[in-house]
Amino acid sequence: MKHLLLAALIALAPLPAAAQEDRQEIVDDVVQNHVLPRFETLAAQAQNLAQTAQADCKADSPVLRAAYGDAFDAWVAASHLRLGPTEVDDRAFALAFWPDSRGVTPRVLAGLIEEEDPIAFSPEDYADVSIAARGFYALEFLLYDERISSLGASGYRCALVRTVSGDIANLSAAILRGWREGYAETMTHPAPDGAYRDTGEALKALFQTLTTGLEFTIDLRLGRPLGTFDHPRPKRAEAWRSGRSARHVMLSLATLGDLAGRLAADAPALHMELDAAVARAAGRLADLDDPIFAGVSDPESRIRIEALQQMVIDIREMVRKDLGPDLGVSAGFNALDGD
Amino acid sequence: MTGWTPGRRGFLAGMLATGLAPRATWADAGAPAFLGAAADAAGGYALCGIGSALDIAFRIPLPGRGHAAATHPDRPLAVAFARRPGAFALVIDCAAGREVARLSAPEGRHFYGHGAFSSDGRWLYTTENVYDAGRGQIGVWDAEGGFARADEFDSGGVGPHDIRRLPGRETLVVANGGIETHPASGRAKLNIPFMRPNLSYIEDGQVIETIEPAPEHHKNSIRHLAVAGDGRVAFGAQWQGAAAQAPLVGFHTRGQAIEMAEPPADALRAMRDYVGSIAFSPDGAQVVATSPRGGVVQVYDARARRLSGALPLRDVSGVAASGGALVVSSGTGLLRRLDDGAERAAEGLRWDNHLVAL
Repeated sequence: MKHLLLAALIALAPLPAAAQEDRQEIVDDVVQNHVLPRFETLAAQAQNLAQTAQADCKADSPVLRAAYGDAFDAWVAASHLRLGPTEVDDRAFALAFWPDSRGVTPRVLAGLIEEEDPIAFSPEDYADVSIAARGFYALEFLLYDERISSLGASGYRCALVRTVSGDIANLSAAILRGWREGYAETMTHPAPDGAYRDTGEALKALFQTLTTGLEFTIDLRLGRPLGTFDHPRPKRAEAWRSGRSARHVMLSLATLGDLAGRLAADAPALHMELDAAVARAAGRLADLDDPIFAGVSDPESRIRIEALQQMVIDIREMVRKDLGPDLGVSAGFNALDGD
Repeated sequence: MTGWTPGRRGFLAGMLATGLAPRATWADAGAPAFLGAAADAAGGYALCGIGSALDIAFRIPLPGRGHAAATHPDRPLAVAFARRPGAFALVIDCAAGREVARLSAPEGRHFYGHGAFSSDGRWLYTTENVYDAGRGQIGVWDAEGGFARADEFDSGGVGPHDIRRLPGRETLVVANGGIETHPASGRAKLNIPFMRPNLSYIEDGQVIETIEPAPEHHKNSIRHLAVAGDGRVAFGAQWQGAAAQAPLVGFHTRGQAIEMAEPPADALRAMRDYVGSIAFSPDGAQVVATSPRGGVVQVYDARARRLSGALPLRDVSGVAASGGALVVSSGTGLLRRLDDGAERAAEGLRWDNHLVAL
């Protein structure tokens, strides 16, 4: 078998020019009005967090906690956009290593504090520390965890808070620079030798951030605390120490709803349906009035959290079955969800 | 798919089939060249025997979406695995067209979807996740004893996916993909920044050789394997880093270094960081890798490790060589022989992940 027959090159029928232009408009709109503003906000809020930590590094400082909350909000709103600049040097993981199923974050932080490791005295050096001890989830331990926030010498912890905040600011600034100085252009101007060869590829990549973002909320933000009926896991909820678990689901519904709406710009009926589905889920979440999903342990409230999860699953299905084909980016049976 | 449940009836039938009934061979199952799992138009699932003429030799219903199958060397038995993280696998008598036993993963483990038999067909080896410990494991099942659990040993890494036996030996080769998952987090990948995939060779339950990709490729998840008649191993990887930064097709021979094929940049990008399946051509001179995400089949010269051809094929994933034929299968239902281009569109079927050579 020296020569396998590979001659049958199947040229895909090109889309009509009008449809191509519409798709290009959608990509331009998403990059300019969804992606860039989110990374601009993240960079600005992260900068503010770093400055606030310089002024007041105490774990229970209300100004510091407020600045932390604002910056974390900005990250959650951008966290689904795992493309290009977030993937360089593991920046996204360094900003947000969660879930931490092996408890690496508190372990590494405790080690640094107990040894008073001098690496914590500079954000630039700190880039060499384990990813698990960087970013928003590490800072949550330093500000809110009963043990870590009072471990060791307060002066060292203060330096660590400032350094982790400074590192967050550096990472966020680098991601924004990456988008402004190349990646926005790469996505909006596809080229045969570029990362995206045509508009369809760029659109598909943006579409995938929507489906993976929805899956993150379904499987992790909601699925982890739900656990099983016999073993609910409230302490696996995201950012429960700072009381932010439900807030993150709300932020993710809002940001993914915005992205879905922009992607459905040329399908008004679907756009309305998606908006309505997102609003229903957000309403259900607000009605729960349960900031850390403590209700997963109680059969009566649990069923309402499961219903919320199902509503997000329904949104994902609508996105996969209706929006994907509409945009011409639906994945095949095997391409869809891996092995 | 989570609905495969164990049953006592299957176990008893298994005892009968393996112990008392006269022994059937693959000829009794229509002598298929390949097995493939598929979804049908009615929303059901099936395991199909496929002849080298691309004909469907048999079609047996499955209770859920399948992944790969392990085939017994002599008897017409196929062990069909659910997609990961599945807790059950079905042993199917392909001649009788029915289930004869079920494997249930022990408490705290799930299957990854691949398995291999010992050369005499006595033992079945399955790749498993001991998920609370985040450790990879090989389960051993006794095909002569109703597929009872007989033993287990370390896979040599995290996230073992494909497993093969080297020809003419009992040595197993395992693709430890390096990615930690836990059912409590769905299919989310929990350790990407820290992952360390490897290729491990195992004899008598002991890892005898382990080799990792180069450090800058520690996010290249080694997942699928092909073994040539002379023991050379080819593997297909799934890259977890920034797009198109690592080659996806590699080669290894015991005692040597891993050698990656280095395709041109546009050919690498066309694979979308994802190899679905990999197979040697019948003469071992070429290696075929599929990418359902890229919708492309790539052919490599196995000696020069150079890309020698490509074929766009929507949602292509399965590839295997058997009976002198090298066949790919696709989620669109297409079966295609790469040697002469013969095709067959299976009515209403969507071929899942892998084709298994008999």
